[in-house]
Amino acid sequence: MKIRVEQSELSDACSWTTRTLPARPTIPVLAGVRIGAEEGGLHLATFDMETAAKVHVDAVVDEPGTVVVSGRLLADIAKALPKQPVELTLEGSRLSLRCGRSSFGLPTMPVEEYPELPAFPVEAGSLPGSEFGVAIAQVAVAASRDDTLPVLTGIRVELEGDTITMAATDRYRLAVRRLAWSPDDTSISRQVLVKGKQLADLGRTLGEGDSVSLSLGDPESGLIGFSSPDREVVTRLLHGDFPDYRRLLPKDSQTVAETDREELIESVKRVKLVAAERTTPIRLTFSDDEVLLRAGAGDDASASESLECSVSGDPIEIAFNPDYLLDGLQSIPNEKVTLAFTEPRKPAVLSDGPDYQYLLMPMRLGN
Amino acid sequence: MMSVWDAVIGQPRAVEALERAVAAAHGHAASATAMTHAWLITGPPGSGRSVAAAAFAAALVCPREGCGECPACVEVRAGTHPDVELVRSTTLSHSKQLSSELVLKAADAPVLGGYRCLVLEDADRMTDAAANALLKAIEEPTATTVWILCAPSPEDLLATIRSRVRHIALRVPESRAVADVLVAEGVDRAMAEFAAQAAQGHIGRARGLATDAEVRSRRSMVLTIPSKLQTLGDCYAMAHKLKAAAEADSSQRLGEHLAHDREQTMAAFGEGAAGVSNRKVKEYAKSSLAELERVHKQQSSRSVRDELDRYFTDLLGYYRDVLALQCQAEVTLINADLRASLERHAANDPASQTMQRISALGRAREQLEANVPPALVCEALLVQLLHPSGN
Repeated sequence: MKIRVEQSELSDACSWTTRTLPARPTIPVLAGVRIGAEEGGLHLATFDMETAAKVHVDAVVDEPGTVVVSGRLLADIAKALPKQPVELTLEGSRLSLRCGRSSFGLPTMPVEEYPELPAFPVEAGSLPGSEFGVAIAQVAVAASRDDTLPVLTGIRVELEGDTITMAATDRYRLAVRRLAWSPDDTSISRQVLVKGKQLADLGRTLGEGDSVSLSLGDPESGLIGFSSPDREVVTRLLHGDFPDYRRLLPKDSQTVAETDREELIESVKRVKLVAAERTTPIRLTFSDDEVLLRAGAGDDASASESLECSVSGDPIEIAFNPDYLLDGLQSIPNEKVTLAFTEPRKPAVLSDGPDYQYLLMPMRLGN
Repeated sequence: MMSVWDAVIGQPRAVEALERAVAAAHGHAASATAMTHAWLITGPPGSGRSVAAAAFAAALVCPREGCGECPACVEVRAGTHPDVELVRSTTLSHSKQLSSELVLKAADAPVLGGYRCLVLEDADRMTDAAANALLKAIEEPTATTVWILCAPSPEDLLATIRSRVRHIALRVPESRAVADVLVAEGVDRAMAEFAAQAAQGHIGRARGLATDAEVRSRRSMVLTIPSKLQTLGDCYAMAHKLKAAAEADSSQRLGEHLAHDREQTMAAFGEGAAGVSNRKVKEYAKSSLAELERVHKQQSSRSVRDELDRYFTDLLGYYRDVLALQCQAEVTLINADLRASLERHAANDPASQTMQRISALGRAREQLEANVPPALVCEALLVQLLHPSGN
């Protein structure tokens, strides 16, 4: 193998692929990055048995070939090199890197021990990367981190015609986000369950690109692929029945309040300071033109604060886990937030329009 | 033609049942009920439980039902197949933490579109909490997940786990089958037969005896114990020697493993790169190496017990031969090479004492399992071997 590549491109590619490298690989070779050189360029690939990442880099390939070398070492070297062309040559069992006056030799690992990367599924459509990234973050916040119910650690992704709906719930809250995309086949109707942590990571890295494509295999396939022009990620789906979340969304409401989102966030943060435990509720009383926030009672420290707020419908007093409330408020991008209630024992819905809903279970009101 | 089942030695009935399951899993079998989602493979140590489990997993993910040659089969063997999780037992117990990781994996869709196989070796080492954490996932896995647990016997598992799995029992493979395997591996016939007989069907042990002179000399040392015990002083001296031998064997074996694993890990993180300091590589590998050390430490404690258990098994075989001679039973001697010493014992002691010695060995093995300090187990055992009736 013999290739020449620009330092900056090599460095970017390395730092992107090696982000997913496991710190404690189950088999040593998985700490490596696979470099493949073929006509027209090279690709770097990593695979941790959950997610495979592959990036294409333009390069002059004098001699094609494939090697596996320590991923973090390559990334650190590539970053530190001067901004000049880098020459990679396989010499015996070592990969030599030359750049300007610097020279490195990296031991290689047996290519045949590196597991085969899963085949990339078929492209199903695309959407703008930044919108996709934001949407994922809005939903991922509600995904469960409790290992005992694997299904709830996932994010449900529904592709119906030109709409994508994503949903996640940990039983205490539910986040649903709808967004438009451009499917290759407008009659598409597919539902998959993507691992929450993996999808959230993807949203952060692929969200930087202009356009992201989604790829799915046949219905039995256990994979979903995401790609931007030079980058490909394929990750393992979850199996299992996601709860019928649409049933949980209330059809109507008795009270609707609208207020400034930032101000409400600040108020909640202040009032929650007196909460003795993570699960100490914060009480919200909506009446006329204000909302009263209270936490703590009796002999414990207590706090209260009121905030201007437009309220229509019956007055209501309701209590929430302050962290879950904050998560919801912080997931809404607009200046204003709308809170809709039916009764104090039933879930409330935070939203800023029809595209995003954050459903939050109330806590039981004390005395 | 090659097949993954070639590695499963002397288990025709079990292999047949598993092959039927694999055929059903691939959708072409007379009876679809031949396949189910949770299995328990049991058998005495050395009968090849883990080998059978790995072969079964390979056959499930192989498009040709376990051809042994395709990428899927090769990857399962190398432990790099993305859909087959082999949980090896190296420590004293399986923790609840491990169970939670497995429960998450049980919800995975298979990457390659076939089955997601979770193989848990030594499932009997699960703590109760670990077993309970698995219950739900084992009872109702997703359609493409298959659990394969291994244990010495079904009774080693909680009843609640037992009732959720289909049971495949392996038996002790016949010495002939074991010897044939060794011969196929290049051992000469006479040595293979001696090793297979002395190892009492334990394949790994037979391989060690056939190929490693040190393993053979350790066996001889252990089997001379019965002739050397004359006074209580001998018992204590021998007990000490036995324990020291177990520790030496175990630390040598583990030390080699650890050195090998370290080397592999350091290489994976780039050790030996020109122009890069080794300190840098150590830093990358830090978390991996720490994990290795931690596991190694847990292994050492278990490994000494495993080693002693092996010695006790050899001694059991010895007294079994003595008893066979005393009863004039028409059976093949396990330790035919020690006939002179066996006959001397058979002539000098009553059979009832031999029985008591055999019981003492059984108790000693239980004590090892129950975490009694190895030194005490050895001392108590040797005193009982000298004075079987307790006088």
